[in-house]
Amino acid sequence: MLSLSVDSVYVHKVWNESELSKMVPGGVPFPMLSDPGGTIGREYGVYNEDTAVDLRGTFIIDPDGVIQGYQVLTSVVGRSTDEIIRQIHAFQIVRESKEKEFTPADWKPGMTVLKPAVDLVGRVWEMWKPVRTRE
Amino acid sequence: MIKAGKPAPDFAAPAYYQGRFTHVELSRYREQWVVLYFYGGDYTFV
Repeated sequence: MLSLSVDSVYVHKVWNESELSKMVPGGVPFPMLSDPGGTIGREYGVYNEDTAVDLRGTFIIDPDGVIQGYQVLTSVVGRSTDEIIRQIHAFQIVRESKEKEFTPADWKPGMTVLKPAVDLVGRVWEMWKPVRTRE
Repeated sequence: MIKAGKPAPDFAAPAYYQGRFTHVELSRYREQWVVLYFYGGDYTFV
């Protein structure tokens, strides 16, 4: 996990000490990177030229350095860390299976994975019956 | 242009990490899963 904003490392330090460490015991457990001027944000397409800060971009990068997925939100809605972790779990399972197993919609760790093959075509419904409950 | 399934652009940046100032290069994280987490600014609200 690497976080990035246009703030300096000095501001990261004081923010961690004065506020974040009150929310997270021991403070932020990952490197907080400084991206002055949004150089890295521009490379990743998340730098907002109008406000001169980065949008809420999340990128999942695999052990080969390949981007497996990304999401970008504007500044007003925060992200779900549970969803980011779920996606990484799913990508790890697929990678460990050497892409023989895929995870269907709404899959969570511990649930059935799908093994794509000719005889699965048209029969996914037999294997995967997600039950959604609305709160 | 970023695309899922394509290599992540490499970068190097100064960082604050657990009480110390350090330097991070994305390429050093090969063989690991990495989440890049961009946000607007320290001391903001969401």
